[in-house]
Amino acid sequence: MYRIRYHGRGGQGMKTASRILGTAFFLEGFEVQDAPRYGAERRGAPIFAYVRASRKPINERGIIRRPDLVVVADDTLVSIPAAGVLSGLKEWTILLISTTETPDVWKKRLNFAGQVLKLPEVAEVEDLLALRFVGSACTGAAARLVGVISRDSLEEAVREELTYLGEGVIQKNLDKALEAYDLMGDHAAAVREAGEIPADGYEKPEWVELPFEEARISAPAIHGAATSVEVKTGLWRTMRPVIDYGPCNRCWWVCSTFCPDSAISVDEQGTPHIDYEHCKGCMICVAQCPSHAIQTIPEHQAEIAGGQS
Amino acid sequence: MKRALLTGNKAAAWGARLANVDYVPAFPITPQTEIIETIANWIDQDEMDCRMVTLESEHSMLTAAGAAAATGVRVFSATSSQGLLYAMEMLYTVAGWRAPFVLVNVSRGLAAPITLGPDHNDVLAARDSGFLQIHCSTCQEVLDSTLIAYRLAEDERVRLPVIVNMDGFYLSFTREPVQIPDTKIVNQFVGEFDPENIRFSASAPVSQAVAVLGGTPYSYFRYETHLAALNGLAVYDKITEEFANTFGRRHDAVEAYRTEDAELVFVMMGSFATKAIDAVDGLREAGWAVGVLRPRLLRPFPADHFRRALAGKRGVAVIDQNLSMGKGGVLHTELASALYASTECSPVLVSFIGGLGGRDISLEEFYEMASVARKAIEEGCAPPPRLLYTREELREVRKLQAIANVEREELGQKK
Amino acid sequence: MCAGCGGLEAIHQIYDILGEKTVFINAAGCMTMLSVYPFTPFRGSWLYTAMASAPAGAQGVRDGLDVLLHKQRIESEEDLQVVVLTGDGSAYGMGLSATSSAIERGLDFLYICYDNEGYGNTGQQYSAATPHGARTATSKGPGGFPGYKKDLFAIWAAHRPAYVATVVGAEPLDLARKIEKAKSLKGPRLIMALSPCPTGWHYDPGESVEIGKLAVRTGCWPLKEYVDGKVVHTKVPHQRLPVEEYLKRQGRFSHMFQPERNEVLLQEIQAKVDGYWEGVI
Repeated sequence: MYRIRYHGRGGQGMKTASRILGTAFFLEGFEVQDAPRYGAERRGAPIFAYVRASRKPINERGIIRRPDLVVVADDTLVSIPAAGVLSGLKEWTILLISTTETPDVWKKRLNFAGQVLKLPEVAEVEDLLALRFVGSACTGAAARLVGVISRDSLEEAVREELTYLGEGVIQKNLDKALEAYDLMGDHAAAVREAGEIPADGYEKPEWVELPFEEARISAPAIHGAATSVEVKTGLWRTMRPVIDYGPCNRCWWVCSTFCPDSAISVDEQGTPHIDYEHCKGCMICVAQCPSHAIQTIPEHQAEIAGGQS
Repeated sequence: MKRALLTGNKAAAWGARLANVDYVPAFPITPQTEIIETIANWIDQDEMDCRMVTLESEHSMLTAAGAAAATGVRVFSATSSQGLLYAMEMLYTVAGWRAPFVLVNVSRGLAAPITLGPDHNDVLAARDSGFLQIHCSTCQEVLDSTLIAYRLAEDERVRLPVIVNMDGFYLSFTREPVQIPDTKIVNQFVGEFDPENIRFSASAPVSQAVAVLGGTPYSYFRYETHLAALNGLAVYDKITEEFANTFGRRHDAVEAYRTEDAELVFVMMGSFATKAIDAVDGLREAGWAVGVLRPRLLRPFPADHFRRALAGKRGVAVIDQNLSMGKGGVLHTELASALYASTECSPVLVSFIGGLGGRDISLEEFYEMASVARKAIEEGCAPPPRLLYTREELREVRKLQAIANVEREELGQKK
Repeated sequence: MCAGCGGLEAIHQIYDILGEKTVFINAAGCMTMLSVYPFTPFRGSWLYTAMASAPAGAQGVRDGLDVLLHKQRIESEEDLQVVVLTGDGSAYGMGLSATSSAIERGLDFLYICYDNEGYGNTGQQYSAATPHGARTATSKGPGGFPGYKKDLFAIWAAHRPAYVATVVGAEPLDLARKIEKAKSLKGPRLIMALSPCPTGWHYDPGESVEIGKLAVRTGCWPLKEYVDGKVVHTKVPHQRLPVEEYLKRQGRFSHMFQPERNEVLLQEIQAKVDGYWEGVI
């Protein structure tokens, strides 16, 4: 069985990408099971999708614990534990990343024994959510990597899954998918199907007896205020607003009032400060600042410049 | 202490009054309405320092009950059948809040077809919800069980809401002698409600009943609720022991009547079990070794009590006043699972369904059930489940069907 | 919530005014996801109930607090304002019975409805609050949603509660004034906040405030209040922009403009808005 896991952000088309691959396998005569899994189900939030493909009916269900291929459409997700990109990676797993860096850099950075491949021809863009076709490119590459999907099946799958879109958009997606398929030629069939876990040699689950705990402890209640400060929704961001304090008028209320996430606070001098741990990058503040004092920069540029993140 | 003739409804109202409840969200439904009317009157006469509010539906009523309990006050409410089912979403919900309170259910058969007479399908529909269940067979028990229920619900080893069930009409509107215990002694027994940290107050912000994503935390919360419900067994036994010492009346988790040397035992819940007691006396006079077991606690299920009481017994006639469509009697199913694979305890179980919608079960029917069960003991296997229903009754229904212009070709009923 | 959520923006402004001596009673909807164990953003308290019965939950909490105060089991400083928070799905539909009864009982509570004109949390299916012609997950035909937005303001006002008001986060001064007013009153007070929704209305998150302003300037979202038996408009757009200035910015109305303009539908919508304001002025 082929076990493939996609990682991306809401809005990058991971569900569609996984379905294109699933359909491609299906057209090749495989039994298929594919599904997206949303965490917060919000634009920019990490999501994953998976595809199983086998010659026999698939009984396995749920999350993929031991992926043969992990496809990462947005490399900024790798450093977010909650995104689970590195979960279950084994020596035989191939990690395919959409990135501007080299595979060697990632191998070293992750201390990973398996193979890292880079999605070919990734454009340099400011806003990673603007990479409209990254899903199709990922799937094109993945199709070549598994080695059992023909170019024709890939094309048919793209057309079938995107049939609701206009012909122009379909063609763009197709071009990207086929381009990636072709450019992956050197690594065709690199993905290996892992075997099953044997019944006479498995790692024992550590079952425990759940102890009774009084309702003071075991009721679904959160005792205390604002524990959500721990949730770094700033990780959803691909672009960030930056205040230029020159033109900033210290009007003391506009940006902080309009921020839906209360991520802008104003100090006693009337100076606004953006809490980058919780700013989701919606850019309402940019649109509303009367003196146009707030700029937009790509998130990864902010990281390079040593900005908070 | 004074002894008076009280209906089951009035006895329930007395239970609430003696427990010094703070809040009664209400909604009328037959056959429970007398409970809230009684309480409303007492409040109007300044005999109870309690707030009563009529909500617009039982779903809202249960929401308000749970929310007030989660705020930190002692809550009482009452409903029946269709109302209990309308609230069903909230029964599961408020149990999960770990908000303790007492809900009196006056059992009534469920639609469709809609009816007024009692059976146990309504309260049994709540058996998976997290509410504990106490089943009464006399009006005295209704009053006593309400007091016991507050102790049980509020105990820190439980902290779950409790249903006290009584049969509609046969208890709710029937007067029986009831000892109304002395207020001071009851106050000492029931005590004050300590909400601990499940309450609302400005100085201790809390987010209650929040969403949970993921099977791992969800399983924790649900299983803890189950463990708390199971604790109810030991806690109930302790409380009823104390109750017996204080008030002189014993309300064991499973009531046993003349079972010690019995070969054959009737098992049933609710008010009709007193009829079984009479039947046992009659059968004993005719030389039978027979007794009755009546579970008061249905949730948590008193499996050990049953296994102990039925050890060595050869046959059980389970009389279910309920019907799980496509399966049969619920008590029968639950008892069978509790006794399965027990070596000390493997009587033949015979299933009878009776009393649906308040249908009477006659003394003769009890005698006949004993006969059938005895035959099953001798043959070593049980006959198929039987609905208690006579030829006369069927004739009666045919007459009704004729009037209703139901097309029939048998019995010359064709119109 | 999604980046750029107009509902969260309104709630953020409202919460800053109401403060943390509040207990928010929530019905199922987008905002249910505000508190997911173990995280809650509230500095005050919160209780999630069910989709249909948040006002009944509010009844229970308010009564509970009243009893505790009356019986002197808590100090008066421990009292909380009880605030119901629901989306339009609950407010306009499933929760209407509970709301109606809570108002009729004179419950002392504040009700905040964040109205994103559809069942947002489940993917923007149409609700009773969906405006005529809007495309939603369950109204994808050429004319969009065939129904008309229910007039919940009128329904609430017909109960003669202490206060009803419409607000939008894009008009923070108007909103602040109304919340301060509501806070100072007792009894049932109901606030309806138009909540521009980038995910459900299909526009870039950064435009949420702009779209909220256009809703007001085109007259599509009247800013008004009901108090002392009268309806008063707090903002009357004198140079009312044509409704299409508002509609064309949102993908959920794009079928009115592409592939060709649906003049009939546009004029119908314009006429309705014109008719409303003629009645006002």
